[in-house]
Formats: sequence, C-alpha cells, structure tokens
Amino acid sequence: MKSSLALRTWAILWKDLLIELRTKQSFSAMVFFAALVLFLFGFAIGPDSATLARLGGGLLWIAIAFTGMLSLGRTFQSEEVAGGLDGLRMYPGEIRAIYLGKLLTNFSMLVVLEIVLVPVAVVLLQLEPWGRFPLFVGITLLGTFGFSVIGTFYASLTQHLRARELMLPLLLFPALVPVFLGAVNGTTLALAGDPLDRIGGWIRLLISFDIIFFVVCIWIFPLVLEE
Amino acid sequence: MGDSGVAVRLEKISKRLGWTWALREIGLEVERGSSVVLIGPNGAGKTTLLRLVATLLKPTAGTGEVLGSSLQGDADTIRRRTGLLSARGHLYGDLNALENLRFAAWMSGVSVDEASVRAALAKVGLDHVSEQRAREYSSGMQKRLAFATLLMRRLDLVLLDEPYASLDADGIRMVDEFVDEWRAEGGTVLLATHRRGLAVRKADRVAVLQAGRLHRYCRPDELEPADLDPQPVLPAG
Repeated sequence: MKSSLALRTWAILWKDLLIELRTKQSFSAMVFFAALVLFLFGFAIGPDSATLARLGGGLLWIAIAFTGMLSLGRTFQSEEVAGGLDGLRMYPGEIRAIYLGKLLTNFSMLVVLEIVLVPVAVVLLQLEPWGRFPLFVGITLLGTFGFSVIGTFYASLTQHLRARELMLPLLLFPALVPVFLGAVNGTTLALAGDPLDRIGGWIRLLISFDIIFFVVCIWIFPLVLEE
Repeated sequence: MGDSGVAVRLEKISKRLGWTWALREIGLEVERGSSVVLIGPNGAGKTTLLRLVATLLKPTAGTGEVLGSSLQGDADTIRRRTGLLSARGHLYGDLNALENLRFAAWMSGVSVDEASVRAALAKVGLDHVSEQRAREYSSGMQKRLAFATLLMRRLDLVLLDEPYASLDADGIRMVDEFVDEWRAEGGTVLLATHRRGLAVRKADRVAVLQAGRLHRYCRPDELEPADLDPQPVLPAG
C-alpha cells in the first residue's frame, strides 16, 4: 500500500494532538497568556465601551498573534525530542505531508484557543459579536488559517537556528502584515458595524492571501526540509 | 542504473558539513544479502555515511546508488525499501509503544491491524508493557521498540547506527537474531558501531573508517589488531 498524503497528514496531526492532549504544555500556557493580554488591555483602556468596541478587533488579534507565537515555536518540538526531523524524513512518500500535518495541528490548536478566548474577550472587552456572528467566525477562521499557513512554514525555516525564538517573530510578523490588515479590519467591522459595506474587500484580501501563501508554502516546503 | 546484485555502491563520495569534510572519497560496494559493519573512532564518519545512504544527506561530490536507485535523484524509491535505526531511535516519549508503532505504520504506508502491531511488540519482548509511555522505558527497552518499528516494514536494506548501545546481553542477542533474520530473507544490513568486537562477529565485510576516509574494507579475518582497537588521533602540539 502506498503511503498517501492524506494518511501521512492524518498521522502527524493525530500524533501531535495526542501528545499535546497528554502534556497540555502548549495549550495551558497559550490560554493563560492570551487571557492575561486581554485582561491587561481591558484594564488599561478602562470601561469606555465606545473605545473598546473600536479597538476590540485589534486587541483580540494581538492576543491571538502573540499567543500563536507560543504554538508556532513548539511546532517541531516533538520531533526534536525524538531525535530530529530525520525520523519523519526517512518515511517514504510525500514529504509535504509533514507541512500539512503541522499546519493542521497549529490551526486546530489556535481554533480551540479562540473558542476559549472569544467568550473571555466578550466579557473583558465588552465585545458584541452576536449580531454578525457567522461573519465574525468566518473572518477569524480565515485569519487563523493565514497565520497558521505562513507561521508553520517559518517555524520549519527557523527550526535549526540557535536563536529561533528571536528569529521566528522577526521574520514572521512582516510577512503576516496582509493577514493582520484583513483580520483586524474585518473583525472590527463585524463587531462594530459596517454601514459602508467595506467588509467584503477585507474578506477577499484574506482569501487571496490564504490561497496564494498556501500554494507557495506547500510548493517550496520540500526545499526547506531536504538538504 | 539497474537493480543489480549490489545493494549499495558508492564512488568517490565526499561530504562536507560546514567547513569540515566528514567523508572524503569513499568507495564502497555492499552486496545484496550481506552484512557490512562500519567501525571507527568517534568522528570517523560512520553516522554521516549511514545518513548519506539513507538519502538524508546529499553527497558534496561523487556518485552512488542504493538498491539500484541513484542517491542524487531517487530518494523516495530508496526510502521505501530502506529503514534506518538511528542512535536515538526516533520515538515519541509521550506515546505508548502501541501508538508509536501505529504512527510508524501509518507514516510508512503499511497496512497493520492491532494483532500485527502486538506481534511486533512481542517479538522484541515488550508486549507486557505495550500501554506504557515510551519515556518510561529504559534506554534498552526504547531501542527494542525502535527495532519493532522496522520489523513492521518489508525492507531490502537496513541501516543500524549503534544498535548495541544501551543493550544488555539479551538485547545484544536480539540484534544478532534480527541481523540473521533479515539476511536470511535476502535483506542487506549496514551497521555502524564503535563496539568493534561485538559487531564483526556478524559481518561478511568490515569497513574501517578513520577521519572520514575508508581506511580498510575487508573480511573480518583480514582485519589487523590495530583496526579493532585504533589509537585515537590526537591533535598535534
């Protein structure tokens, strides 16, 4: 039986999520860190609901971005502990499955984090996403996918660097500018209302970015991993 | 390149890692169904040579073929038929033995059921601790589990990097039996170790590496005492 891309992707996702479920190392730290960021911002801005509504989308994405860095930094940690990526590379079949598996792991972790984080943000920042909830969810998922696509790729690029904790955000954040632009503006419009109907443009930007970078990253990933 | 009676053929293979030449002009032929042991002091290039044959490294110079496929361009074909047991085993400490084997099977594209996974564990003597996480195993037990991941695949070439490390007498016997079994089924074994006395017992041929060069390639009975216990090369001055 040939090792299919889907089976290998599933295997990596299953293995990484199972390890995370058992150790809870990444996720606990992510939840506490994200809640702390939201609490500090909410505390600093105060109870001015108009300001909170205007800044809410941006604050939510600051929490997601900083917390996401914790997850991305640990993308290949289970492989390092097991003796490096040689173990995965030595298996036959499509090497892009490693990227897809790690991408889905990061995406799943961030989505679960957001499920916990959004109710916290609703309370602390007095957000009201319920009016345009499907739009709010859609924009958050598109932004999270874009963040995971490029974040996973840069995590693989910096995994061998000694100063990777420093290099990963330095390289990653400039590349993520289009995602943050689309996600922050789209989320703000979904939360605070969109009388001029500008939200469609930000959604198109997010979709374009996600597709282009997904194709580029998956195409060049073997060059990053192979010597 | 054809699928001939030679499992591994290296011609003037060199490999540079950073500024250091890890291998220099290695020429080696390993016949199918044979067992070749690489010996040499630390830093001689044994692991680099195994990683190169496993297609995890590309040669800086020279050409080679493994199981009839070119080292330079046909990595996936080689990986389908080659297994590497590295010194660290590539196990996930937070998964138990069954889960580690299931993952290895999925990644290799091997269709396995629960019974065959348990059979592989029984063969390495770990069936009684199959639900225990790998991190709770002793290093010898981890080595046995790593062997089990190879047993589930049908391999034509097995590369073993320091397989005797951390093993007790039973474990050493287990490695010997595996080597015999693989060879009986027509498989080829390339084994690197610093435990020279142990390894050459099972070798058809021995390759002595020193400072990245192939110092000698011969039958075990042609080895000189200095090959089995070479003096470490000390820096001058």
